[in-house]
Amino acid sequence: MSKSPWIYHINTGSCNGCDIELVSVITPRYDAERLGFKLTGTPRHADIVVVSGPITAQSKDRLVRTLAQIPDPKVVVSLGSCPRSCNVFKGSYSVEGPLDKFVHVDVSVAGCPPKPEAIIDGLALAAQIMKQKKRGQK
Amino acid sequence: MILFYVLIFPGFLFCFIAGLLLAGIDRKLVARMQRRIGPPILQPMYDFFKLLGKETIVPRAASRKTFLIASTIGLASLVATALFIPIAGFSAFAGVADIIVILYLLTIPAVSLILGGAASGSPYAGVGISREMVALMSYELPLVIILLSIGKAVGNAMGGGITFSFTEICAYQMSFGPIISKWSMIPAAIAMLFVIPCEIGSRPFDIAEAETEICEGPLVEYSGTPLAVFNLNHAIKMFIMTALFTSLFLGGFSTGIFALDVLIFFVICVAITVISITLLRAVTARLKVEQVFKFYWSVVSGLAVLSLILVWLGL
Repeated sequence: MSKSPWIYHINTGSCNGCDIELVSVITPRYDAERLGFKLTGTPRHADIVVVSGPITAQSKDRLVRTLAQIPDPKVVVSLGSCPRSCNVFKGSYSVEGPLDKFVHVDVSVAGCPPKPEAIIDGLALAAQIMKQKKRGQK
Repeated sequence: MILFYVLIFPGFLFCFIAGLLLAGIDRKLVARMQRRIGPPILQPMYDFFKLLGKETIVPRAASRKTFLIASTIGLASLVATALFIPIAGFSAFAGVADIIVILYLLTIPAVSLILGGAASGSPYAGVGISREMVALMSYELPLVIILLSIGKAVGNAMGGGITFSFTEICAYQMSFGPIISKWSMIPAAIAMLFVIPCEIGSRPFDIAEAETEICEGPLVEYSGTPLAVFNLNHAIKMFIMTALFTSLFLGGFSTGIFALDVLIFFVICVAITVISITLLRAVTARLKVEQVFKFYWSVVSGLAVLSLILVWLGL
């Protein structure tokens, strides 16, 4: 179970810095695929959902709907400081707040943007949590 | 005995292991060609068993029974094809099916993908299945011409006419050497090497399962066990197509020990995978739908027709 975690990435208004760092984790230099990670094109194929960006008002409904489309057992990873605490955008009229208002966050990778090594660390932890969730489900 | 053939060898279990091993070797080699370490060779097996443990969500707009059954139809037809293709000269039900039956059986996995996508009720899947139909049309024409030219080549040697039976092709290769050693069949072999990636759906011809463009195409709403079976179909198709190539073009060797024959057969399948699937996949980008269609109906069909003409002239 923890050997084949597939990732789906949701951008809820991020500046793209974290997204670029996430995609760079799949590139040959950091190569997360040797641990079995794979970026999927649809939320229904994913096990780990990586959310970046402060949840903007426009993306809130889409985020909730997309999170509901991911089959169990799933692990939610919040990428960067924005979903963790809204970073510099806190208090803005269009920002709906940190990610744990909407869904239980399992792993939080802090940083602005986090280093790819920290992202791999967080993703590996998420894979372990997925295995525990699967075991807990039985 | 029939149950053994269907379930163990060369049926379900053998196809399962061989297909997933081929898929794993392909992924590992693509990674190595891109100067990275890549997943372990057993990774597709991990993927398969993981997907079995996920919940299956059926969207409200989908037609439920077709959605769930579609992948199994593809799997059944692929295992049936494996029973008829001579693996290292041995085919479980020899004499029952010939090349024409294989041709029809091979369209069923593509149709099962189209069926699954159509049952998904998603516009992404709709676009994906129309592309899969274009891909199906593109590679069927050269495939038929290649099989015709092989049938005629063997029929020439067996006393005129045209033959479609696998046993006669194997017997021909046993006595005359592999078909690829005839110079007039080399264009057909090259054309077949091009048909293989399109049938499997790997870059540059993976217009159906275009991840970045249409969110995985026909598979967009799938999760859990049906998705596992679709991925398994993809892997087994790799094995079936390379096994078809090996038995049609590179047959005629035999060491006498059956297990060793099967092993050599598998190694040759791996080599064909590397040449026609992995190398192309690692260095190319995806072609457009019209480009795939034009390519197959001009270049690849042209090569196949060249072989057909040469063989019909008796060369």
